[in-house]
Amino acid sequence: MRQHEVVIIGGGLAGMRAAQKAQEMGADVAMISKIYPTRSHSAAAQGGVQAAVSENDSWESHAYDTVKGSDYLGDQDAIEILCYEAPGDIYALERMGVIFNRNDDGTIDARAFGGTSVNRTCFVADQTGQVLLHVMWEQLLKSGLTTYSEWFVTKLLVEDNKIAGCVALEIPTGRVEVFRAKAIVLATGGIGQVYNPTTNGLVVTADGQALAYQAGATLMDMEAVQHHPTTMQANGVLITEGARGEGAYLLNSNGERFMEKYAPNMKELASRDVVSRAETMEIREGRGVNGCVLLDLRHLGRDLIMTKLAQIYELARDYANTNILEAPVPIQPGHHYIMGGIKTDVDGRTWDITGENRWAGVEGLFAAGECANVSVHGGNRLGGNSLLDTIVFGKRSGAGATEYANSIDWAPISEDAALADEESGIKAIFDRPSDGLRSSALRFEMGKSMNDGIAVFRTEEGMTQTLNTVRDIKGRFPNVSVQNKGRVFNTDLLSVLELGYMLDVAEVIAVSAINRKESRGAHAREDYPDRNDEEYLKHTIVHRGKNGDPALDYLPVTMTKWEPQVRSY
Amino acid sequence: MDVTLKVKRFDPETDEAAHFEEYQVDLPEYGAVLDGLLAIRDEQDGSLSMRCSCRSAICGSCAMKINGKSRLACKTMVSQLKELEGDVISVEPMGNQPVIKDLVVNMDMFWDKVNAVQPYLRPEGPVPEKEYLVSNESMMELAVAMNCIMCGACVSDCTVLEVDKSFLGPAALAKAFRFAGDPRDGHKEERLQLYTEPNGVWDCTRCFMCVSACPKDVAPMERIMDVRAMAMEAGLVNTRGARHVDAFASSVKHSGRLNELNLALKTFGFIRAGIDLAPMGIRRLFKRRLPPLMHKKIATAKNIARLFDKLGV
Amino acid sequence: MRYAFWPGCVSRAGTPELYPAATAVAEKIGMELIELEQASCTGAGVLGERNEELVDTLNARNFALAEQMGLDTLLTICSTCQGVMSSVNYKLREKPDYLAKINESLAEEGLEYKGTVRVTHMMWAVVEELGLSNLKEMVVRPLNGLKIAPFYGCYILRPRYVLGMNEEHAHRDQYLEYIIEALGGEPIDYEGKLRCCGFPIMTINEANGLKMVSNHTLEAKDMGAHALVTPCPLCHLNLDEFQPKAAKSAGKPINMPVLHLPQMIGTALGFSVRDMGLQRHIVSTEPFIELSGMPRR
Repeated sequence: MRQHEVVIIGGGLAGMRAAQKAQEMGADVAMISKIYPTRSHSAAAQGGVQAAVSENDSWESHAYDTVKGSDYLGDQDAIEILCYEAPGDIYALERMGVIFNRNDDGTIDARAFGGTSVNRTCFVADQTGQVLLHVMWEQLLKSGLTTYSEWFVTKLLVEDNKIAGCVALEIPTGRVEVFRAKAIVLATGGIGQVYNPTTNGLVVTADGQALAYQAGATLMDMEAVQHHPTTMQANGVLITEGARGEGAYLLNSNGERFMEKYAPNMKELASRDVVSRAETMEIREGRGVNGCVLLDLRHLGRDLIMTKLAQIYELARDYANTNILEAPVPIQPGHHYIMGGIKTDVDGRTWDITGENRWAGVEGLFAAGECANVSVHGGNRLGGNSLLDTIVFGKRSGAGATEYANSIDWAPISEDAALADEESGIKAIFDRPSDGLRSSALRFEMGKSMNDGIAVFRTEEGMTQTLNTVRDIKGRFPNVSVQNKGRVFNTDLLSVLELGYMLDVAEVIAVSAINRKESRGAHAREDYPDRNDEEYLKHTIVHRGKNGDPALDYLPVTMTKWEPQVRSY
Repeated sequence: MDVTLKVKRFDPETDEAAHFEEYQVDLPEYGAVLDGLLAIRDEQDGSLSMRCSCRSAICGSCAMKINGKSRLACKTMVSQLKELEGDVISVEPMGNQPVIKDLVVNMDMFWDKVNAVQPYLRPEGPVPEKEYLVSNESMMELAVAMNCIMCGACVSDCTVLEVDKSFLGPAALAKAFRFAGDPRDGHKEERLQLYTEPNGVWDCTRCFMCVSACPKDVAPMERIMDVRAMAMEAGLVNTRGARHVDAFASSVKHSGRLNELNLALKTFGFIRAGIDLAPMGIRRLFKRRLPPLMHKKIATAKNIARLFDKLGV
Repeated sequence: MRYAFWPGCVSRAGTPELYPAATAVAEKIGMELIELEQASCTGAGVLGERNEELVDTLNARNFALAEQMGLDTLLTICSTCQGVMSSVNYKLREKPDYLAKINESLAEEGLEYKGTVRVTHMMWAVVEELGLSNLKEMVVRPLNGLKIAPFYGCYILRPRYVLGMNEEHAHRDQYLEYIIEALGGEPIDYEGKLRCCGFPIMTINEANGLKMVSNHTLEAKDMGAHALVTPCPLCHLNLDEFQPKAAKSAGKPINMPVLHLPQMIGTALGFSVRDMGLQRHIVSTEPFIELSGMPRR
């Protein structure tokens, strides 16, 4: 058995930031990641990170843009913290070594992004996430953080509704071990592979959301799933919003800048939900190009493209056979992000410290980053706010976890029982016949169904069909088999475990989405096209009910100073 | 698009040695090699192991040898390979690192080497309240090296690592450049000292393998050359590598051509050159292969020397 | 074809047998070589570590000398020179402002590089300009039964984009095999053929350089090669001259004859051992000479 006061699960930006903070505060902390930390999907964030660092900007303005972007579903106290702490955290990252693009006076430069009233997105060319991720990783090398790379967490251990530890499988050897912990921070990222296609990496499989849900914590606003306006048709890979931030146009088959019609002021730089809907309308009404619209960067010129959007140049060349210097690249909305996640307070706690039990949580369990929902993104996240979320709330949850760990004793833990349980679970999978159902087939079926039913536009019928499909797959899941029965680097086995996680989360997404009978942010319903503040200005919360099915409830949205208004761009 | 993938398989739990297995897959027009491997794993043989995630050349997971060259599987387009390199595509794990299973290698050595170059900013002096004020140009020069996604393709193809595992290698040394070149760092001299020790920048043989392999245009070898130049600039000239460069430069400056004898004398020092190179000199003598002892200048050598002077060499 | 000719420093000093062999073969196959007497060392990749602009200037000067003689193609017999020249030429053509700056330095000598020169290596010229079928017709003593290990050297292979190998000349990494076959020999395939010979680190980490020598020559030997052929005099210097020492370090005999490309071509075209300077190598070329049946003088 291994023992650390604070265990961070996930090695992306949020996890590393949490680990860094906990270490700074003197905690005995370890980070567990199913991949080497630099492989984390934070690296794929291209465009930038929002912070009011410019002289003509203020954190209040950033907060307002974020509230409006969230379609008033974000909790405003959390949003205030996010935006208030943003500049300080960005400066801290700069001092750690991030090579932000600069203004002539040497200060950090900021570019335009969707849904922001001023240029507020700090960036490193179009590789911002990668640079942030690598710099955080450098800092952890510097401080010598204990890191368990390529360990996959299979279960959280909870005693008397308090965290006692977790069970993890070392992927290169197949060995299972128990980790004892006083506090655990989940920072496992998004749910991408629940959808097909998605901009997310193959490792993004809703692990943290499912672990928390299965352990008794609450998932909130899971219907808030974002489709990014510019993804490539061939494989769903992302083209940064920075492209439009730098001035790229969206054109339909008639060569018209159609966003002028949908968002007369902000045009291409309206928020993501708005642009994705507009694109879908154009395509539906016959003004698409083979199921896409066109992203035109030609007028930006070679110099700008090759210095600030070089990665996009390569991606378009490799995956769409398009030279963006000479031709527009076909793009379409594609699954990108989930605003919803594990319900936490502003210090990452998954449980209600008021003692009022307003939602179900697990004491000692924290969450941060995309797997969490604080909630700062509400119904729709603004570009550049996700990296910021990981940095600010990663730090705060690391601090929260350390303080909590300092305040309590070790919970009792039964290592042998946990190991035996895990081994028998693996054995049961290995014992199934090798030629049975393949996890890949079920994953594909689930992904397609989610994208059909719960994407840019949604209907009762479509969502119900998706829920039925997901439940049907859940029924078949116990028969899924593996062809590889060895222990060394058995990705076949991992795929099965990941699929189990994803199916639970897919079900919660579908149940939550069907239940919200209005349109808000990314949740756009054709049968309820308007926002309905009277009935639905509230969070959807779901925990696992006694019978194992999702149990629905609601929480009020926290308002500080911004009353809901009609949202237009 | 039909394609045949010849994949090197090895399962330490059941196999004595690695072997190739052939698979036929049908891929869409823009299919990458990774898509082919995923199709094998998902539809034909679930026991195939590899690392992969982002599918867009940014996570650095899927470096492997494709048709003998180290590349990212997600960035290597099958249609291009078929056109340029033939219908059957071979896929093997990276080189210079031990195989764990199939296409998965143990990268511990890789990470240890990166860690050895102190890969983190170490500023000195007063900490600014906000950001360090530095030019955009100085940051974007580092972006070239910051592009590195730690995939290991360069290390996989490095010809020096093939003969000497103690060499720090291209990825770690490109990372070294990123810090030695950062105006915010306070330990440039100490770093350059560290990077020019044995197994450091001077051990690179300039074979361009890493430049060819790098999927992100980091050109690690060029970064190694940058560190060499920085080190010489900083006065760290008492390494054999730096002496070699100096001797080379002075020979060409003097005569317009390279004088190999002089080069050896100056690089090794007179005595070592005498002892070490004498047997070879004798062998050469027997073969009437000695270069002319009197190294001839070209007629316009003074023009050459003037160009050297002009650029301060 | 007329070429401005740059033999490189090593072909007349370190491996003095190469220069006469190359010029004799060139004459025989109809390549008219006009030597750039006043050209300077290209820097061999070493000088650039000290000052890149200096290297660009020296090479621009060599190109300008070729232009001055009214020649548009500069041919070399050294892979290293060829690599440096190609990359400098690529850079100067991409950056006209930079070329203008370089030309200011050249102006003092009354020279200007207009950017018209094409750089080639004898190996490329044989395949692309002479043509393999023409070469085949000239063969009088085919290398029948001879297994030959091609060894390219780094600078004629990488980086591909400066060597025109991303575009029209994608197969330049197979020309040695083509030539060996055209001469009637049998090229052998082995891992080492595209690797580094170790020369650039011989003065810095000799042990590593020697291991490269023994790895490649022993591998070629294991594959049954009778000789190894290279288009690079620096590779030759290392693989031939340092082979005895490498064999000693490796603890086993090697005895792999190492030929310069022109020597191999010359053998098939009827030249003698003495014409090609094969007796001047460090590692005995006797087994190759015997099997090829070439005359002593």
